[in-house]
Amino acid sequence: MEHVGIAGAGLVGRLMAWRLLREGCRVTLFDKNDRHSRDNAGLTAAAMLAPYSEVVRGERIVFDLGRASLETWPRWLAELEADTGEAVFYRRQGSLIVAHPRDEADLERFERQLRHKVVPQPGAVERVGPDRLAALEPQLAGRFRHGLFLRDEGQLANDQLFAALERALLGKGCDWREGVRVERVEPGCLVTGRGPQRFDTVVDARGLGLRAEDRRLRGVRGEVLWVEAPEVSLDRPVRLMHPRYQLYIAPRPGNLYIIGATEIESDDLGPLTVRSGLELMSALYSVHPGFGEARVVHTRAHCRPAFMDNLPRIESGEGRMRVNGLYRHGYLTAPALLEDALGLLAGKPAGEAAYPELVHGGA
Amino acid sequence: MQDQWTVYGTALSSRLFMGSALFPSPQVMADSVRASGAEVVTLSLRRQSPETGAGQAIWDYIRALDCRLLPNTAGCHTAREAVTLARMSREIFATDWVKLEVIGDDYNLQPDPFGLVEAADELIRDGFKVFPYCTDDLVLCRRLLDVGCEVLMPWGAPIGTGKGLVNPHALATLRERLPDVPLIIDAGIGKPSDAVQALEMGFDGILLNTAVAQSTDPVTMARAFAGAVESGRLAHHGGVMPERQTAQPSTPTVGTPFWHENP
Repeated sequence: MEHVGIAGAGLVGRLMAWRLLREGCRVTLFDKNDRHSRDNAGLTAAAMLAPYSEVVRGERIVFDLGRASLETWPRWLAELEADTGEAVFYRRQGSLIVAHPRDEADLERFERQLRHKVVPQPGAVERVGPDRLAALEPQLAGRFRHGLFLRDEGQLANDQLFAALERALLGKGCDWREGVRVERVEPGCLVTGRGPQRFDTVVDARGLGLRAEDRRLRGVRGEVLWVEAPEVSLDRPVRLMHPRYQLYIAPRPGNLYIIGATEIESDDLGPLTVRSGLELMSALYSVHPGFGEARVVHTRAHCRPAFMDNLPRIESGEGRMRVNGLYRHGYLTAPALLEDALGLLAGKPAGEAAYPELVHGGA
Repeated sequence: MQDQWTVYGTALSSRLFMGSALFPSPQVMADSVRASGAEVVTLSLRRQSPETGAGQAIWDYIRALDCRLLPNTAGCHTAREAVTLARMSREIFATDWVKLEVIGDDYNLQPDPFGLVEAADELIRDGFKVFPYCTDDLVLCRRLLDVGCEVLMPWGAPIGTGKGLVNPHALATLRERLPDVPLIIDAGIGKPSDAVQALEMGFDGILLNTAVAQSTDPVTMARAFAGAVESGRLAHHGGVMPERQTAQPSTPTVGTPFWHENP
């Protein structure tokens, strides 16, 4: 039975460990934090599965990965439920893009760029007026004149996913080394403070932890607010156009909403700034006044690991593999990306990967 | 055509300055800058915790473009903030060039003329070479020159609006009254024809960001602007013919029988 060592228990590390355990591998998972730590880019995200929205500012391949991942998630989540007995919140009811009247030019640009990059399936991208908007999200009735409905987009609850993966990993006998920092990744070997640990294969999924060694990687700071808003009921994620960013509101069970938008070229891991908080909250309030009385449950800030082209990379070499640079597209792209990574680990040639342009040699 | 110009003693051949914000990725930004032929790139520190160096990765990447850097004070609302940020930028990027922005209105990102003159004065005394982002007001421009600015960057329209040159009359007045000052149109340029217009009018250069960064294909748009700027500059040198009210045949009509002529 193959023994795989994985460095990093973020989204990529956890998913890889879980898939490898299901395939019958032995897995040892290292992370610098304990398994309940929130010091993680994956837990700062809103986990929207929004290939159409994201292709507007991204490359076509992000859309392809996102579409494929939307098909994989339900299957993986069903398997995870079978492993743990608990369901992870997952919805696919589309998302709405709206703009206040003076930002309508941005909505127009959004749609134009979307249609330039992909030819949507019939009905996947729908311009909506006040009536249709009101039918989709009654609480937004009368608040916006125009919008776009992106029928195929979805979301999942990332905190539930992290917890479910943790249970599944422990249930399947993953050897989880908490609080152990991997300092170097060599072929078949993870070097920690306690010396080299040998495996048949190692996977480097350290995210921003790789930055000290690889200067091509950078942090892109994101900040989110969690609010509890009993007066607001939205069924699907809503994005609001703004001259400088797009605010998103992702609803979660129990009248919880995750609000985010910021994208700052910075490695700073410090708490939410007042300026970002003001921008997020004022935009939130402008979407629905019911948010005025919402409670701020918590705020989070972290940095997404990204390469200069903002595309993920699989670097595959003898006895080791590196998966990194998922940027703001972790949940959107992980299943499709990891299916390629798992194929390579199982000995499939790089040329047969579904996304060969993301596979590079010499990890 | 050899067509160099000079800002603060530095000779430049390209008449395009490029901003580095709002691109889909740093890679697309770098490719666009190269495609534009720009020799000067602006960059912003404001939200990157400059005191901790947290933006190092992107700064190193922009440095590697091998362009002259023009750090800006985007996001500053008072002279004090702008001066502090300018000093930090000078240390981080080892340049005394600064594109001075003091914003008076947040939604329009409209310059605050009073704070601008105050900050420019202080920075020039401190040895900076200030490129002020200003409105097209002649008196403001004079005040900026009085405190020692050698280059001015009047707006075409508010930042990011892409409206082009909304007040060509005021801009033409500036050009006419300040014939020897390098004038760079900053902000508001939306399409290459706006750039052609600015260069035809005799402006020395333009600064672009949103028009390229938020276009559908930034690298292609950067090339379009490179061509537009060259075309506009050539037109300026070529001397644009004056407009007139009546049509004038380009072929002389001396040989045409009078009964064939229109009344």
